[in-house]
Amino acid sequence: MGSDEAYNFVFKVVLIGESGVGKSNLLSRFTKNEFNHDSRTTIGVEFSTRTIQLKSLIIKAQIWDTAGLERYRAITSAYYRGAVGALLVYDITKHLTYESVERWLKELYDHADPHIVVMLVGNKTDLGSERSVPTEDAKDFAEKNGLLFLETSALESTNVETAFQNVLGEIHRKVSSKEVTRGSISAVSLSSPVPRAAGDPEEKKPCCRNL
Amino acid sequence: MKKGRKHQQSTGARVNGNAQQHGEHESWKKLKLVEIHQALNCDPVDIETLRRAAISEGGLLTDEIRRKVWPKLLSVNVYNLPAKPTKDIRENHKDFNQVLLDVRRSMKRFPRGMRVDERQVLQEQLIDIILVVLQKNPALHYYQGYHDIVVTFLLVVGERMAIAMVETLSNHHLRDFMDPTMDSTKHILNYLMPILEQVDPQLHDFMLRAEVGTIFALSWLITWYGHVLSEFRHVLRLYDFFLASHPLMAIYFAAVIVLHREKEVKQTECDMAMVHQLLSKIPQDLPYEELITQAHCLFTRYPPSLLAKRAALQSRKSITINCFKAFQTATQQQRPDSVLRRQLLQGRARGLGGPDSQLVLSRDTQPNQDANQAANQLVKMAVWGISATLGAAALAVAQTALDWAPDFFMQLF
Repeated sequence: MGSDEAYNFVFKVVLIGESGVGKSNLLSRFTKNEFNHDSRTTIGVEFSTRTIQLKSLIIKAQIWDTAGLERYRAITSAYYRGAVGALLVYDITKHLTYESVERWLKELYDHADPHIVVMLVGNKTDLGSERSVPTEDAKDFAEKNGLLFLETSALESTNVETAFQNVLGEIHRKVSSKEVTRGSISAVSLSSPVPRAAGDPEEKKPCCRNL
Repeated sequence: MKKGRKHQQSTGARVNGNAQQHGEHESWKKLKLVEIHQALNCDPVDIETLRRAAISEGGLLTDEIRRKVWPKLLSVNVYNLPAKPTKDIRENHKDFNQVLLDVRRSMKRFPRGMRVDERQVLQEQLIDIILVVLQKNPALHYYQGYHDIVVTFLLVVGERMAIAMVETLSNHHLRDFMDPTMDSTKHILNYLMPILEQVDPQLHDFMLRAEVGTIFALSWLITWYGHVLSEFRHVLRLYDFFLASHPLMAIYFAAVIVLHREKEVKQTECDMAMVHQLLSKIPQDLPYEELITQAHCLFTRYPPSLLAKRAALQSRKSITINCFKAFQTATQQQRPDSVLRRQLLQGRARGLGGPDSQLVLSRDTQPNQDANQAANQLVKMAVWGISATLGAAALAVAQTALDWAPDFFMQLF
């Protein structure tokens, strides 16, 4: 999936949040424009990519979808390493999934780069009549904690594209404005930003190809 | 194990000549059915033959046979099953919400074309089975994927037998996965790379350099592939194999899958994400029989004890591995169903019966058999004697006709 395309940046993004909030469907909506009513439980970590154009740049988003259940955290948190962006998802109809946001945030900062771009995502706006988390509450929380914020519906395809685009855009802004120090940049972007060379679409690491 | 020779014999018989291949395939199947049948009626049950049948080509062939053999592979007495769960099991159960969430989104695990109301009944049963087993065994902790295991049993053996089988399985084969943390599960996953190292050091090195880890195989291992295979018949074939094997066999099978895809893996970019993505998407057209044979061979050639020595794996205590020997010994002491049923009936007649009365499983604790039973044994031995002379098939059927469902006979004739 896009591994042979040319790209300027690879950004690793993680999807985190409680079990059943719709992480896998946000991912499949973004990468395949699909929604699955009986989307299976995610066991461990799953992974998808999508390459998008951001102004004149081509960005490959490498998105890791993680299991929400507590017991898997010891495994999934290892995958936060090297992530430059995160979507922290809760279900607007289940207040408990919102209450655990703080815990998730701590978990993320414990394992990921401190400059990671985080967006708080309230999913399932299609179930508006069952809403139990007011938009304002979540918005305030996001502002206080320096997070981006958006409400989405993976089912109705509302704001999903925008959510990912905003996160990727913000990562790019941080990287290019050198808001992050040199040391972090290499930690931040998976491969250091290499300009696309004409006639050389291959930007893979040839060092360890098996010959 | 002794399976190799058997397997060769049966396949050897089938490859002679092309014209009669189909007919020979059928006769091979009949022969296998008879073998299974006889093993089930031995006293004690001939568990080694049943294991061989479950591992060798085709596995246990039909669900009808699985309902007979699976309980034996786990030492479950089908005439002493736990009661149907009552609805109050759900009240104040700490895992109820998570189980509900996972079972609701497991629609794909039910046969396509099943009526919605029928599926919903089974989904409710699935929830209850999981909660009952967890409640009865406080040391066991629910994990996502456990429902994928339980649904497989529910669909084949029904609710009450599923409870009994899943409970045994959870205390043995799955025990490490059911710890409060994932540490023991990770330990089992750690056997994967040493197996690869033995067979294909190049592939092993490639995967080490890619730093792919072993999490791509996590869902395979803890669901016995139920979570990742779309064809139920493939899942069943693997369950035959795993129920008859050492608990670590599922990780040997994972290794065999990776080895099978060796070329693809080596051609992938040597990058964690890329290799993880490739491997975690399991191909649906795997040559299952071939891979099962391979996994079985690898297990014999590189047993866990050997890998543990080489890979410093033995430091951690695995309950699953440690209790397997005792478990296996216990399976060798089972009475055939005809005896178990008689015991149940006799128990009831004496007023000692009821679903909770403890029926005797092991020969050691068996009270003196009465004259009636002894006579039955004699008759049975006589029948076996004749069957050796007159041809096994017909007599094996006659011998225990009543034990078997009619469609089993349809397969024989």
